[in-house]
Amino acid sequence: MTRVLVVDDEPQILRAMTIMLKARSYEVVVATNGKQALATAAQSSPDIVVLDLGLPDLDGLDVIRGLRGWSKVPIIVLSGRSQGVSKVDALDAGADDYVTKPFNVDELLARLRAVTRRAPTGSEEVRAVIGDVKVELPGRRLSARVPDSGSPDVRLTPTEWQLLEVLIRNPGRLVTQREMLRSIDRADVGDQSHYLRQFMNQLRRKLEPDPARPRYLMTEPGMGYRFQP
Amino acid sequence: MAGARGTLRIYLGAAPGVGKTFAMLGEGHRRSQRGTDVVVGFVETHGRQHTAEAIADLEVIPRRTINYRGSDFTEMDVDAILARHPKVALVDELAHTNVPGSRNVKRWQDVEELLAAGITVLSTVNIQHLESLNDVVEKITGVPQRETIPDAIVRSADQVDVVDLSPEALRRRMAHGNIYGPDKVDAALGHYFRIGNLTALRELALLWVADKVDDALQHYRHEHQIAETWETRERVLVAITGGPEGDTLIRRAARIATRSGADLLALHVAPSDGLTGASPAMLAAQRLLVESLGGTYHQVVGDDISATLIAFAHAENVTQLVLGASRRSRLGALLNGGGIGSSTMRMSGDLDVYTVMHDQAGRRHTGPSLPRGLTARRRLAGSLLGAALPALLTLVLVNTRSSFNLSSDLLTYLVAVVAVALVGGLYSALATAVVSSLLINYYFTPPLYKWTIAEHNNIVAIAAFIIVAATVSLVVELAARRTTQAARASAESETLATLAGSVLRGRTGVFALLEQVRETFQLTSVTLLERDSPGDSAERRWSVVESVGVQPCTTPAEADTEVPVGERFVLATRGRRLAASDLRVLGAFAAQAVTAVEQQRLTAAAEAARPLEEADRMRTALLNAVSHDLRTPLASAKAAVTGLRSADVAWTDGERAELLATADESLDRLHRLVDNLLDMSRIQAGALSIRRQPVALHETVPIALDSLGPAAHDIELDIPDWLPEVDTDPALLERVIANLTANALRYSPPGVPPRVSASTHADSVELRISDRGPGISEDQRERMFTPFQRLGDTDNTTGVGLGLALSLGLMQALGHTLTPEETPGGGLTMVLAMRISTLPTGEAASADPNASSIPASAVDPDILPVPEGRRQ
Repeated sequence: MTRVLVVDDEPQILRAMTIMLKARSYEVVVATNGKQALATAAQSSPDIVVLDLGLPDLDGLDVIRGLRGWSKVPIIVLSGRSQGVSKVDALDAGADDYVTKPFNVDELLARLRAVTRRAPTGSEEVRAVIGDVKVELPGRRLSARVPDSGSPDVRLTPTEWQLLEVLIRNPGRLVTQREMLRSIDRADVGDQSHYLRQFMNQLRRKLEPDPARPRYLMTEPGMGYRFQP
Repeated sequence: MAGARGTLRIYLGAAPGVGKTFAMLGEGHRRSQRGTDVVVGFVETHGRQHTAEAIADLEVIPRRTINYRGSDFTEMDVDAILARHPKVALVDELAHTNVPGSRNVKRWQDVEELLAAGITVLSTVNIQHLESLNDVVEKITGVPQRETIPDAIVRSADQVDVVDLSPEALRRRMAHGNIYGPDKVDAALGHYFRIGNLTALRELALLWVADKVDDALQHYRHEHQIAETWETRERVLVAITGGPEGDTLIRRAARIATRSGADLLALHVAPSDGLTGASPAMLAAQRLLVESLGGTYHQVVGDDISATLIAFAHAENVTQLVLGASRRSRLGALLNGGGIGSSTMRMSGDLDVYTVMHDQAGRRHTGPSLPRGLTARRRLAGSLLGAALPALLTLVLVNTRSSFNLSSDLLTYLVAVVAVALVGGLYSALATAVVSSLLINYYFTPPLYKWTIAEHNNIVAIAAFIIVAATVSLVVELAARRTTQAARASAESETLATLAGSVLRGRTGVFALLEQVRETFQLTSVTLLERDSPGDSAERRWSVVESVGVQPCTTPAEADTEVPVGERFVLATRGRRLAASDLRVLGAFAAQAVTAVEQQRLTAAAEAARPLEEADRMRTALLNAVSHDLRTPLASAKAAVTGLRSADVAWTDGERAELLATADESLDRLHRLVDNLLDMSRIQAGALSIRRQPVALHETVPIALDSLGPAAHDIELDIPDWLPEVDTDPALLERVIANLTANALRYSPPGVPPRVSASTHADSVELRISDRGPGISEDQRERMFTPFQRLGDTDNTTGVGLGLALSLGLMQALGHTLTPEETPGGGLTMVLAMRISTLPTGEAASADPNASSIPASAVDPDILPVPEGRRQ
């Protein structure tokens, strides 16, 4: 059973979340302020933390940093702060995903599942389908989804392959800009978001059925990218 | 009149209820027991039981009843007392105004009659009734005083006793109901009897009496023809040289000042004829030290340091002077005189002079020591040397004539002349040269002992001797003059450095700058003038920007010295014409003063722009806080609803009901917030529609409390149904009461519900919503009404702060007031004051029998105090 720690100072939210998570057979523990959140996380070792940033005692960012000091537990921020800066700060502090209030429960649940899914590592066989193209990671091979329609006439550069691999290995999960840049050894070279945007546009042009309306390679503005299988 | 005038003894109190009447009655009893004939002329008990008991068996002269505008009033019966003619009469409330139709307008005039008749009067006065303190008291308490008594009457009293009681004790006495009836205690404690008020009034009373004691001292001095000033206020002046010992001196002087409660002044005399080695950096540091110790720093230019010091001390009414022990060694003191310390001491007259030892005493200057210019003392030494040295040389050389020739003799004399020139300057050296040449001629050039010279060779030698001696003397003299000039320049630059320092630190306003000019150059007045409109000289009009000293100039034409700065400003000084050398410094001062003026104006402009900035900050705050407060309930509602819509879960009835309840509560909260926001913007836009009507609080308040749900059941309600109706919009008032009570409930500790009570005060009804929670400190009270004061999203319990802001806005729109107060015993009380709807005819609803002591903030002056027992 997956244990979720929900941290929020708003009783109505806590109540709704508790009912909904229990109905999907999650185990729920709650905390209403930052100190309680840190104490509860230490005692009940949750598998996932859903955290509000605006807490009466500590700032949510401090809670994230406190947790990251000793734990790798996935953290999803659930906050009314919708500015890009807050998102970047939270992700930089170590959060795994960011959902803005008000939120759709189904979306939140999908994110919960994504961050708890164990990311495949190493040379395991990983396949993904983007539109009409089938992507095979270990061999870095592209093929047509429907076998008899011939091989697709697209080729990816090594950098594009690296970026695509990071996304596909984390299906549904937010991959921050920093993580993506790190995968291509660019993380230390200042603000590279425009660079990343360019590569992602190329990938979409090559893979997405309708590059203007991406369906698989999603941009999370200000945060990063997400592969939606 | 019957014999000598009676004596007047006054019991002076800081506030009603300190026990004046009680003290007066006590004295009455004491005298009565001694067998004196004592009667009570007029004592007001104000329904206080202890006071009534205190009258006990004293004889009371019945009061006179006067009918005025259909009501009966009682006043002191002066005729009856005069007829009874006791030795001592007790008359309460000296400041009382009699009802029209009485024989005198004021009671103190009645008392004058009694005194004139030889009757000794004991009376009482509250400090706030003294005429001279009227406006001060109004400023402190916010309540205008209508009953006043001339100070002279109280001052002329033979004895004034202060009846003193600490504010805390008075409030306690009041809370016990010893002063007012229980219905007035809350209002009185919240208004007039605040600790701050009482403390200030008490201080006023004590100061006033101290003044009277001072008067008595004056009187004594006058009678005994004592001319010197007896300073009751001490002023300590510390003289600093800018040397390293200054810190010690300043601290020592500060200790002396603190001990005697004196003012501290520090003075640096910058001499214009030479420098004492003052280091500007050290002076600046010492200036800071003086200022940090609460003193003031002054700097004047003066040639004679001691005289300048004493003159300054007299001008500033200094009583004690602190000097450092001399830095001269004992030998130096013998050679050069005792230094500034001893000469100052000789001139100090009636000043107390302290000489403070310091570890720099007896040491040489550590600062750069410039050679002094030629002082009179040096010139005198030069003359003496000039007289002695040639004579001495002649004596020696005549006896050793065989060993030296003429050229050696000449050179030896030349050495003597140069020595004299070094000591005494040009004139003594020239004199020495002439004397020496004569001596050489007489004793050393053949023919010996004759005034003639045989060889031409020797004539040339003596002529050359005189020329060399004169040239050397001239060079020495010039060097000395240059030194003096250099010293003067450094004195100037030191003043300028001090000036620049003070302007740079931004602490010196224009006024202080001008004062520094006045002080430095010892002028009568210094004025900064500004031309109103640039135009031709005939139409020049000037306005005074800032001025110090007496008789300021209003146009540059009236000035003794004027320094123009730029197109528009002129610095005009009066007192004496300044030397050309001073004008440079003055010019720098003037430029600084203009800079300071411009800086002040820029600051004012920036200040004016601040509201815009404020508005901007407010908008951002509003966005942050409102977006959070709107989003939070929206998020819970949306979460609940999207949850219910999820196809993948089969909800039980219980779960469904709970999710729906969550959504419902959240939407309710959202609804309230939107309502508040809309009302707030209506208030701000002035678009609030108000329907005013007479409203009975005992009907409206329960409705408002009902809207708060079951939590409000415990609230303690005390609203008498006989209270007059107030003029207000019932729906808006309900909102305010609900808002404030919800707040009070939120902060109330469990088991101690808030209390809602109402009472009349003056012409208003006051509704008090009190909680016993943590309360709000004084400095936060101003902020509590600011809307959207919370900038972040960190607190869900207080909301955006709209509730209080909205309540205040609504109350103001209705013309009522809303003020926070401390609940006696801790907690917050919100006081809503609303005007009584219509005044009952023929009678003031407010009146207090003790109207002379209790502030009746808005009582019509024509309406008189209502007699005891006629109040509701």
